[in-house]
Order: sequence, then C-alpha cells, then structure tokens
Amino acid sequence: METAMAILTGLFFAVSIYLMLSRHIIRILLGVAILSNAVNLTIFTNGRITREVPPIIPEGKAFPVEAVANPLPQALVLTAIVIAFAFFAFLLVLVFRSYQELGTDDTDEMREAEPPNEPAPPLGY
Amino acid sequence: MALDASYDVDISQAMVVELPPLADWLVVAPLVVGFVFGALCLMTRKDTGRQPFVAITGLLAMLAADIGLFWHVYTNGTVVMTMGRWLPPFGITFAADMLGALLALVTGILGFAGGVYALQDISRTGRRYGFYPFLLLMLSGVTAAFLTGDIFNLYVWFEVLLIASFGLLVLGSEREQLDGATKYAFLNLIATTLFLLAVAYIYGVFGTLNMADISRKAASVRDSGPLFTITAMLLFAFAMKAAAFPLNFWLPASYHTPRIVVSGLFAGLLTKVGVYALLRIFLTLFGAERDILAGTIAVIAALTMVLGAMGALAQNDIRRLLGYLVISGIGSMLAGLALGSATGLSGAVLYAVHSMIVMTALYFLVGIMVERMKVFTLREAGGLYSSAPWLAALALMLFLSVSGLPPFSGLWPKALLVKASLDVGAWWLAFAILLSGLLTTIAVARVFAFSFWRERDTAQKGAGEVQPAPAATSGAMAGSLTALLLLTVAVGVYPEPVVRVTDRIAAELKAPSRYVEAVFPPGSEPLTTEQTEP
Amino acid sequence: MTFYALFVPFVAAIFAPALTRLFKHNAAWILALAPAGLFLHFLGFVEGVAAGERFTGGVRWLPSFNVNFSWFVDGLSLTFALLISGIGTLIVLYSGGYLKGHRHQGRFFSFILMFMGAMQGLVLSDSFLMLFVFWELTSITSFLLIGFNHAEERSRRSAIQALVVTGLGGLSLLAGLLMIWNITGLSELSLLLASGDLLRDSPFYLAAFVLVLGGCFTKSAQFPLHFWLPNAMEAPTPVSAYLHSATMVKAGVYLLMRLNPAMGDTVPWETVLPVFGGATLIAGTLLAVRQTDLKLMLAYTTMASLGLLVMLTGFGTEKAIEGAILYLVAHSMFKGCLFMVAGNVDHGTGTRDITRLGGLMTAMPLTFGAAILAALSMGGLPPFFGFLAKEEMYYGLASLDPWSLTFLAVAMVGNGLMFAVGFAVAIKPFFGPKVETPEHPHEGPVLLWAGPVVLAVAGLFSALFSSEFHRLISNPMAGAVAGHDADITISVVPHLGTALYLSLATVALGIAFYLGFDRLRSGMAGLLTAIGWGPDRGFDQVIDGIVRLSTVVTRWVQNGRMEYYVTATFILLVLAIFIPMGLADEWPELPEFPTLFFYEWAVILIAALGLLAVVWAKDRLTAIVSLGIQGFAVAVLFMLMGAPDLSFTQFMVETLSVVILALAMTRLRLSPQDPRSWAQFFLDGAIALASGAGFTLLLLAVLATEFNAELTEFFNTYSVQIAHGRNIVNVILVDFRGIDTFGEIAVVMVSGLAILALIRVLPKRRAANAAAPTKEVAEPIQEAG
Repeated sequence: METAMAILTGLFFAVSIYLMLSRHIIRILLGVAILSNAVNLTIFTNGRITREVPPIIPEGKAFPVEAVANPLPQALVLTAIVIAFAFFAFLLVLVFRSYQELGTDDTDEMREAEPPNEPAPPLGY
Repeated sequence: MALDASYDVDISQAMVVELPPLADWLVVAPLVVGFVFGALCLMTRKDTGRQPFVAITGLLAMLAADIGLFWHVYTNGTVVMTMGRWLPPFGITFAADMLGALLALVTGILGFAGGVYALQDISRTGRRYGFYPFLLLMLSGVTAAFLTGDIFNLYVWFEVLLIASFGLLVLGSEREQLDGATKYAFLNLIATTLFLLAVAYIYGVFGTLNMADISRKAASVRDSGPLFTITAMLLFAFAMKAAAFPLNFWLPASYHTPRIVVSGLFAGLLTKVGVYALLRIFLTLFGAERDILAGTIAVIAALTMVLGAMGALAQNDIRRLLGYLVISGIGSMLAGLALGSATGLSGAVLYAVHSMIVMTALYFLVGIMVERMKVFTLREAGGLYSSAPWLAALALMLFLSVSGLPPFSGLWPKALLVKASLDVGAWWLAFAILLSGLLTTIAVARVFAFSFWRERDTAQKGAGEVQPAPAATSGAMAGSLTALLLLTVAVGVYPEPVVRVTDRIAAELKAPSRYVEAVFPPGSEPLTTEQTEP
Repeated sequence: MTFYALFVPFVAAIFAPALTRLFKHNAAWILALAPAGLFLHFLGFVEGVAAGERFTGGVRWLPSFNVNFSWFVDGLSLTFALLISGIGTLIVLYSGGYLKGHRHQGRFFSFILMFMGAMQGLVLSDSFLMLFVFWELTSITSFLLIGFNHAEERSRRSAIQALVVTGLGGLSLLAGLLMIWNITGLSELSLLLASGDLLRDSPFYLAAFVLVLGGCFTKSAQFPLHFWLPNAMEAPTPVSAYLHSATMVKAGVYLLMRLNPAMGDTVPWETVLPVFGGATLIAGTLLAVRQTDLKLMLAYTTMASLGLLVMLTGFGTEKAIEGAILYLVAHSMFKGCLFMVAGNVDHGTGTRDITRLGGLMTAMPLTFGAAILAALSMGGLPPFFGFLAKEEMYYGLASLDPWSLTFLAVAMVGNGLMFAVGFAVAIKPFFGPKVETPEHPHEGPVLLWAGPVVLAVAGLFSALFSSEFHRLISNPMAGAVAGHDADITISVVPHLGTALYLSLATVALGIAFYLGFDRLRSGMAGLLTAIGWGPDRGFDQVIDGIVRLSTVVTRWVQNGRMEYYVTATFILLVLAIFIPMGLADEWPELPEFPTLFFYEWAVILIAALGLLAVVWAKDRLTAIVSLGIQGFAVAVLFMLMGAPDLSFTQFMVETLSVVILALAMTRLRLSPQDPRSWAQFFLDGAIALASGAGFTLLLLAVLATEFNAELTEFFNTYSVQIAHGRNIVNVILVDFRGIDTFGEIAVVMVSGLAILALIRVLPKRRAANAAAPTKEVAEPIQEAG
C-alpha cells in the first residue's frame, strides 16, 4: 500500500512540476494546486499507512481499542491543506489582477519588474 | 469532564507539573504582542488617523518584549517552554537560545524603525488595506521562526511571514509590483513547499518533529535513513529562502517593486530567516551532514558573495543594486556556516546582525534619496551632495559599512570570517570575501559619485529642465534611518559587547547537546510509551 | 594622555564646520591648536625615546577576539607623529588662506583634521586591526578630499580611483596582517618585532610578504600602481602637500620600515623592494619631466621619492636604511614646502602651468625664498637636510658588486632628474621675464606663506644642527627600522670620499638635465604618446570591464524570464536529490509489488487519469475539471486510509478551488492551450519525471526505516485521559499542537486581507483615470477563503 502511494506521489509531483514549468501562469497555478496534494500525500504516507480505522477513541474507553491510523500526520496535513488553500486563493487573485493590469498570462510578456530593454548601468564616474 | 476521576493517570508523565517561572513567558511574549496588536490594527484599519498609534505602540511593546527576552536568555541561558504544558517532544516547544533571542531582538528593532519610517512612506490607502497588520504579523512570524523548537511549527511560521510579505509586496498594485509579486510568490512557495516536504521525510525517519529530539536521535538514525539526501533538500530549500546563488532569482525580481519601507524590512528580515534556519538545521540538528556539505556550502557562499557584488555593479536602478548587496551579504554568512569554526560562526552571526541593520538602513536611505531626486536610476541621479549634505554624510557611512570598511559594523564580521578562512587554509574563501568587499566598494562609490557628487543638470542634459524642488525630508524617515545608522557606528567603534554575544552563540551552536539538554533536562526522561493498558 | 591625543583631531573635525561658520577662514588659527598641541605632546617623548625608551599603552578593544586599542611610541612612530602634527599645523593654517571664502571651507577643515587623526592613529597603532582601521580611514578621508571639487567628473574619477586602488591594497594588507597573526599567533606589532625569526622561518612567509606588500605598494604608489597619485592632484593644494606628499603616501613606506626587523633580511624582501622601488624612481622622475603643471611635476617626483625610499628600505645595508630615514624626513619638509609654493603660485597668478609662468621673484619674494631653500634641499646640496640624506644613501649603496652598482646608477639618475625638476619648479616661475598671467601676481596673506617658509627653514636648521638632530630623531628612528641601535654621524661638513664624489656627479647630472629640460620634456612626451597606453587608462578599462562583465553575467543569470527561473530551480532540485542520494548510497531497496484491493487500485487509477487529463487538456475548463477529479480521488484515498477529517476537508477545498478557478477563468480571455515546442516538452517532461522519481525514491527509502511511533502512542494515550477528546486528530489540532493551528488561522486571515488589498487597491495610474468616487469602492469580488 505504501509503495503504491509512494509511486502515486511521484506522479503527482511530476505532473505538478511539469505544469509549473509552463510559461502560462494559469498552468503554473494548476501546478501549485497539485503540488499541495502531492506534498499532503507524502506527509500522510510518511506517517505510515493503515487501512480504514480512523483515530477515534470509542466512548467509555481511555485508549483506542484496536490499531488505528496514525493521527499526527493527519493533523499536519489538515494544517497544510488549509495553508495551501489560503495561498492558492491569494495566488489566484494575484494572477487575476496581473491579467487585468498587464493583459497577459504569459510570463514572458509580463516583464514589468525586470523589463527586457533595461538600460545598462552608466560607465564613467 | 466528569471522566477525570475514572482515569488514574499520572499527569507528571505527560505534562510539566509546576508552572514555568513567570519570566519564561517572555519566550512567547513577542509574538503574543505581535498578534494582539496585529488584530487591533486590523480592527482599526478604517481609522487611518489613529491606527498608526496603535501600531507604533504595538511595535514598541514587541521591541520591549524582545529586549526582555534577550536579557532573560543572556542572564539565564536558553529558555524553553512547551505549549500547553505538554512535555517535549509531544507539544510544540519554544526554545530561545542566544541565537534566536539576538535575532528576535534585531527583528524588534527593525520592526520599530520600519513602523516609524512607514508613518511617512505609506499612504492612507496602504494603511487601510493592511500595511500595519501585515507588518506586525510578518514580524510575529519572523520572531516565532527564530524561537520555535519544532520543525513543523517552523514551517507554519515561514508560511505566516510569507503570506504577510505577499500582502506587503502587492500593496499598491502597480504593474511592476504585480509582476515582481508573481515571481516572488511562486518561487518562494516552491521553497517553502520543499521545506515542508523535507519535514515530512524527517517525520518519516524520526517519528518526531521536535528539533532537540531530532538532534539527539540523529546519530542513531544516520545509518538506516536517507538523512543525507533529506538534509541536502533542506539546504536547497533554505538556500532558496536565503537567496543564495544560484537560487536567488526571486530576490532581484521583486525587492525593488514595493514601497521602500517594505523593501527595507524584507532585506533586513526575510533572507535572514533562511540563514537562521540553515544555522539551526546544520549545527544544532545535523552537524555530521554539515561536515560533508561544508565544501558545497563554501562554494555556494563564494559564488553568492562575488556574483552578488557583481550584480550590484550591473545595475542602473539603485534599488535593484541594493537587492544584490543583500545577496552578496548572504554569501558571507554562508561562508561562516561552511567554515563551522567558532570564529567563523561568530563572524556569520555578527554579519547577519550587521547586514540586517545596514541593509534596512540602506533601503531607508534610498527612500529618502528617491524622494528628493524623484528618480532612482544612476543615469539620472545627482545633486544630493549640494542639496542635502547631511544625507551625504549618512549615506557615506552606510556605504562604508556595507563595504566592510572601518570604523563601521561591517569590518568586524569580515575580519572574523577572513581570519577563520585563513585558519583552515581556505585562502580562496578569504579571497572571495575580500573581493566581494572590493566590488561592493566600487558599486557604492559609484552610487555616491553619481547621485551625490555629480550635479543634477549635467546628468540630465536638458531632458527634464524642471529641477524638482528638493522636498523636505520628514523627521520620521530621517529619524529611523539615523537610529539604525547609530547602531552600525556603535558596533563598529566598540564591537566587544556584540562580539561577546556572537561568540557565545558560536559556542552554543558548536555544542548542540546544550540545546538538547535545555529542552530535555538530563534525568527527567518521561516514560510515556511504557504505559500499560488500564 | 596619548590615548586621548589619538582622538583630538577627530574632535576638532567635529567642531570645524561650526567654527568656520563663526570665524570664517580665521578658524584656521583655532583649529591649528589641535595639531600644534599634539606636536608639543609628542615633543615630550623625544628625550625619552632618544634614551632608548619605548612608550606603550592602550585599552582592551575587542578582548573576545584578542584585539586591543593599543599604541606604541618608538623612534619610527615618534618621527612620523611629529611630522604629521607639525606639518599638519602648517597645513591647517595654509588651508585657512588657500580656501579663504570657499563655500565648503568648514567641511574641508573637517576632512583634513579627520585625515590627520587617521594618519596619526596609523603610525601609533600597535595592534594589527587598529593599524588596518586607521589605514583604511586614511584612504576614506583621502577619497573625500580628492573628490572635494565634486562637480568635476575628473575629481570624481580620481577620488574613486584612489579609493579603489588603495582599497584594494587595504584588503590585501588585511589579509596579510591576519596571515601574520595566524603564522605567529601575535596580533601586535611590538610583539612581532620582538619575535625574531618566527615569521621569516614560516612556510607562509612568502604569502604574507606578498599580501603586505600589496598594501604598502598601492598606498605608496609604487610602479605600476602609481597612477592614482598624480590623479589625486585634483584635490586642493593643501591636500596634495599634506596627504599626497608629506604623510599619507608614506604610510606604505612606514609599514615596510616598521616590519623590516620582522620581515626584512630575506631574499624576497631584498629583491622585490629594490626592484620595484628602483623602477618607481626612474618611472616617476621620467614622468615628472614630462609634465608642465607644477603640481603634477611635484606629484611625480613624490612618486619617485617613494620609490627611492622603498628601494633603500629593501636594499639591506645599514647605511641604506639610514639614508632612507634621513631622506624621508628631508622629503616631507621640502616636498610639503614645494607643494605649498605651487599652491601659492597658483593662488597668486591663477595658473600652475610652468610654461606660462616667469619673473615672479619680486611679486612673491617670500614664496620664492622658500622655494629656493626647498629646492636646494631636494637637490641634495649643503647645508640642507637633503644633502645629508643623499650622502648617507650613497654610503649605503656604494659597493662594487653589479647589484649594488645597478641601484647606485638608478639612484644617481633618479636624483639627478629630481634635482632638475626641483629647480625647474623653484626657478622657472620666478626668474626670467615677467609673463602675463590670468591674475595679477601677488603674495598671499601670512596664512599662505608661513607654512612653506617654516618648512624650508626647518630643512636648513635640522641640517645645521645635525648631531643633535641625529641624537634625538634620526638615531632612534633608524634603530627602530634596523632593529638594533644606530649611530648616524653624517653632517653638513663634507667629508672627502666616495659619497661626496657621487653627490657631485649627481649635481652635475642634475644641472645637465636642467639645461636640457625642454628637450627632455618633448622627448618624454613623444615617447609617452608613442606608447599610448598607461596604467591610468588601464584603470578605466578595468573598471568599465568589470561593470560590463558584471552586466553580461548578471543579465545571463537573472534574465527576467520566470520560465527560466523555475526551470533552473527544478534542474537544481533534481541534482540536489540525486547527487547526495548517489554519493551516500541512500537508494531504497526495490519494494515488493503492492497488494491492494481492487477499489484501491481504482481510486489510484482515477487520480492518475485526472492528473494526466490536467496535462493533456486541450482547453482550460477541461483542465480545471480534471483538477477536481484528482483532488476528489485524493479525498477518497484519505477516506480509505482512516482519515475521514482529512477527506472532508479535502473535498471542501477541492470543490472551492474548482469553483473559484472556473469563475475566475471565465472572466479572463486567455489562450486556451499550453503550447510548448518539442524540445521544451522533452526538457520539461524530463525534469518533471526526474523530480517525481526523486521524491518517490526518497519516500521509499524513508519507508524502509523503522517508524518511531512514540509521539502517536503518547497522543493515543493521553487524548482522552488528559485532553478529554475522543477524536485524536482534533485533539492534536487544538491542544497538543494548538500553536500550529493558531499560525494556520493567521495565514488564512492574512491571506484574506492580502486578497482584499489586491482587489481594492488600484494603482495610481488607474485610480487617476477612474471616476473619482470609485477608488475605494471598486467592485468587490468575494473570494477570501
């Protein structure tokens, strides 16, 4: 199971990185969304995997009665998901506003901060 | 709640029983203050007249908390506190050693200076849309990153400071800001995500997230787990955060785009969090891996220093020039990390403190220069020596300081680092440090010659015959700049107090067991996992 | 007392602008009290030092690094201190007259006093780092003074040139001093001098030697690093007289003399110093002949004199060293005087061009008198101090081996040429017919002629009372340089002997040069034009080259294209994973083929298909929907593996993402495809697959380790018992790791605020265009998560 998950995360990473290598910022954004899933799966798998038993202690017991899934990675992933979503939302609006202001989603055409025709530094003194 | 009685549980096995001494609460005081005042500023954001006072009060309180914490750590040693009173490593531990406390203190100073500077530099719209909340939360994030003792928690603080920095970066929504922010945001997101990924692997190998716990377990795990690859990945992630060559793309792409006070604070704080993380990871946690990676780090350091200084020489825009000086300075700090000796580490930390103050001050200076000249390119600049001699004096001092020339703070870390390099025969690293100093000198001397010495009209050649009336510089901007300048002069003239602190930090970093023992006092090992089923 | 004396000039510098505002140029009288007081202070040491005492003191400065702020006074440093404060007094007075009425006279006083403090600190420093600090301070103040006429590009160029060249030397010196520190474990000059052969015997001697030399040669303008010195003449004349002739440029010579007992007497020392010194001497004198500007003629002879001093210092015989120290003192006096003379001529007539000057004798009698006395000393004629120096150096050089004969010849030619130049400066402007000058020639006020007259007379009296002067000054100084007691007996009474004949020959040579001066000048001018290139031009080429190279490199590395940034980042990431994994052999074992239930396979397959669909989607909407598919598949996977909370959150987040994305995308008119060339496709694909494979391999390697479930067991144990929660994940979130959640909430909040700022704040340009009231109430788009 863990092996399958490890390979699946590899696929997630590959797809996400492929998308992020695009010139089109909207693809990069999709890549970021997938990247967060990839990372979350990795965190989850690192905590080792058990099937189907959620880490909930039954009523009247002080401990889980059977082997349960590792709760810590779940907590970490929950934190990470929410953070990643907050970033995703910000980036989306950033992309949206960039498109509004700059009129393109091609990063090669967006070069305002580092313009291609920037003057060279002056020589002399 | 009524269940309490039914469980016969020995609390002392899970929790710290006695309350920690009151002074220990100082370890969380800066960020509590930061968050509280951040929230207050958010609530008062529409009252742009009064909000700055709330913010300045908050920044002052934060600085006071940082001073208190620093003093407490200085006198009593590392302060450790685990949240929720859980025993480490089960809760999230905050551990303020000298390194964290010192950097937090400098953060507090820069935050306050920036808050004052921003009184003039940030418009009402900027305040209304969250400048001060962003600032306070970024400072809280930075401070918490310096103080936390939990590696996943460190990631969370990285994200807090990163998202707050996004907010500061885009404030204004100018075209170049949006482009700069896009590059900054995506590349930094990649870096923090890689950090998170490395944390995941660390958890998989160690089963723990507490840094002290990782440190003490590293030796036993080293043979079975892929520690070297994981640490290389951490090096990658933090080198990117620290803007080390060749992962520094995001910094020159973005640091010149926001308001100058924002650039200044970024320059002072953000990359240094990356440097801090590198020091923490590679000295406190994975010393053995540092020994293997030292050569690589040294090469990265040399390239960063020299190419950073060359980048500064290649700029027409003064603000971008400063961005490259930030990068060049990062190289010097990494050189200290690569050397790893007490002198080298002391030099690296001293350089970090110096660079935080001086780089922020330089941006503040350029803010005033641009305000008076209305241009920020070397080709068009000029005339400041005549119109603002006092500014020229301040500028010259900062330029000398950043070049590592006496009698300012830049000299000492440079001397320590060169000495440390020669100690181990790394003459080429010493050469790189000195060469970057020379190139930096040339770069800033050109800025001085062009924008101060040169008269304005000869520079413009009739392009714009309207000589803008030199605007009076506001007291808030000049004041915070002068305050930072005085610090670099003080450190330059009498470095002993700071060097004593950085020497102690170097000694602490060289002996990670002291950090571990502060978190896990010897002889108080909890036996939690031995619990029997009821 | 001496400790405070070190700071006196700096304090004076702080008050200089205010005093100048109050008293105008007469502030010079008050400010000159500072150096005058210092001169008297140091005079107090003379008797003691002559009796063989050394005075030391200081405070701990950086004890953590074993650095003291410590000074020491012996014959060498005392002579320098006296020269600095003595000539400094005259220069401050002279500046009062020279820059009378200048808008920035106060600033000028300030700079020159700061320089004085730096120079004085330099020669009195005992600890290496203190020496370096003052050394660099002299470079910095020199930078400010050369750039004093800042509106001129030539001044700026000269200032930067001086800063860069001497700064380069300073860094070399720093490295050299730190190296000596490493070799010997000593960080104080006084200790080093007493350490015998410790440094000489080290295998790193040569490295330290070269590095220290780098500092000394740049500062003392040795060929071919001399070019900054003549350019430094852009500074006002008092600066030229003081910094660039009498004091600062001697710092390099000072340090060589200072280190002679510890570093001298070796083959490299006695080869490199004479060779470079000799070359500098000849080059300097030849270049001096070429000039027509009085100041430049003097500047090049200064360079030549520095060469002579270095040559003598390194030559190795005792008499040569004595000659060097006598010449050093003589040079400070006559050259300082001649520069001020040149300044007076400039001031009085409005020009410094020697071909446009003549017949000033009657108009400027005092200046003329000083000039003649100084030239006599410079020419080495009795009864002036320069004569003593020349005699002594010929004693030191005269020997019959070819090596000595070579340098003897070099010294004679050099001295002869300097003789000619000295008299050209002192005679040509004053004799002959009167020439029309831009201003009516006149003698300046007392402030202007006092300095040159005093120095000229000093050159006479020090020679007349030579035995006393030797006892008090020369012998202790020579002793400090040689490392053992010295006894100089030379006096103005000529002794028949080799040295005298050589002196006479030099004078004859000098007269010959003088008579053929114009021919010599045109010859040199022709030669230099023929060569066409010099290190001065080279400097521009180097600086421009560095700037151009930096621009090319920087634009290549930082080319502004985000695609390139991301690609480079991920290529490096692939390397950062695979290289360490390979080096440390951390590859995972080949895992067994996973055994999964069919529905698990199905979900994994759906996730994979969703992913591939995102990549292959022909239009954006398909891509977004496919994004949803993989997201939901992940949610199901979480569900299957005992993480219902995660699963719900994932569902929510994915739904929101897809909806927001779809909403936003419909508002943008974007090109629907993601075109990549085949090469691009393969490159991106390879990087992506390699990264993915790297993460998978790393994960497999991690999974092969034994898991430490300590934390999990703790949480399972105490979740209910202490924290009173049955859902362990929730307990971790709100209790065990509550701070994480706190940070997470902060992130969400800040992100919402940042989004608000992005949407609401319009750039100035747009805001100005838009109708006024809409600025703050632009259409709100509710998207905060």
